[in-house]
Amino acid sequence: MKRIKYILLLFILLGVSSSFAQDKEVKIRVDGLSCPFCAYGLEKKLNDIEGVENIHIDFEKGLVTLNIVGSQKISEDEIKSKVEEAGFTPKKIEISDFKKTSTKTIK
Amino acid sequence: MKRITFLLFIGLLFFTGCKNKTIGVEWKFVKQIKLDNISPIGLQADGKYLWISDAKNNRVIKTDLDGSIVKKYPDIKRPMHLSLYNSKIFVPEYLTDNIITITEGKIETLQLNEKPNAPSGISVNDSVMAVADFYNHRIILIKKGNIKIIGKEGHKKGELYYPTDVALVNDKIYVADAYNNRVQVFDYNGNALKVIGDKDKINVATGIEVTDNNIFITDFEGNRILIYDLNSKLIYIINKHLNKPTDISVSENKMYVSNYAGSSISVFEQ
Repeated sequence: MKRIKYILLLFILLGVSSSFAQDKEVKIRVDGLSCPFCAYGLEKKLNDIEGVENIHIDFEKGLVTLNIVGSQKISEDEIKSKVEEAGFTPKKIEISDFKKTSTKTIK
Repeated sequence: MKRITFLLFIGLLFFTGCKNKTIGVEWKFVKQIKLDNISPIGLQADGKYLWISDAKNNRVIKTDLDGSIVKKYPDIKRPMHLSLYNSKIFVPEYLTDNIITITEGKIETLQLNEKPNAPSGISVNDSVMAVADFYNHRIILIKKGNIKIIGKEGHKKGELYYPTDVALVNDKIYVADAYNNRVQVFDYNGNALKVIGDKDKINVATGIEVTDNNIFITDFEGNRILIYDLNSKLIYIINKHLNKPTDISVSENKMYVSNYAGSSISVFEQ
């Protein structure tokens, strides 16, 4: 009986940990990122979003990547708003997780 | 004879086009100081040492004049243009909106009563401090504890558009008005006195240095240093040995320029 309880507990723990494993990767394409003041400014604005980690800015490619950790929900509108606050217009925002990928092109 | 004169004229044009543009006192290239995995932004020459803001690695470093690091100050979140006053280094911390001070190895945080949004440059002189407030398009002037706001967002004289650096010299405020592609000069009451370089095709004016005789400005995208006299007359342009210059520091007849993309410091002398 104890063995069954132990196995059940193990399954519950596994289930709980997998439900928290909702880390997302966000890719943002932005023009005009050559100036460090602008690039680090964009980083500063994106840092305001809850759960954001590992912001990386590739100046030459105009590509920003970041992770949203934990169970934080993130919307493309929120990201777009932060990019615009930093003085840029996002060309494309991609949010992906383990199961599905949503891609939206901003016109 | 006319033909020879014409050919000589063309030859002269070609020759001057290949060299740094010489209008006033010439600056000669001395050497390039290579930096390892550093994209320097702010720069302050300090005798036999250089202070460099290494934003990429979230630290300020002190190097000798060959670029060897003699001291590291880590955990400074994206340090920008520096100021040196009375042996104290002032560092605007871009991500936290604080000012960090370094004195004899000791780091302290200075919180401003008027909060900037991304402080990008600082200048300290006697009892006056000026901070370039990048996202608020203004300069915060703190004089004997009193705060005065200089400039507002815009493109006209007296207005600023993403200022990145500031210099206080002889009771005047010199601003690298980065995305207006010019320098602006204000008095301590906020009156706009001069616009400099607006006709010189500067493409992002990121860093400024002012000495007793000259105003130096970096043209980040144009890979140039433009040097003016105090009457706003352009007297010299350096367009070689630079790679996305962000800041200038002049000390003992030498000019040091931080090359953001080149991971180096260019040294020139008069």
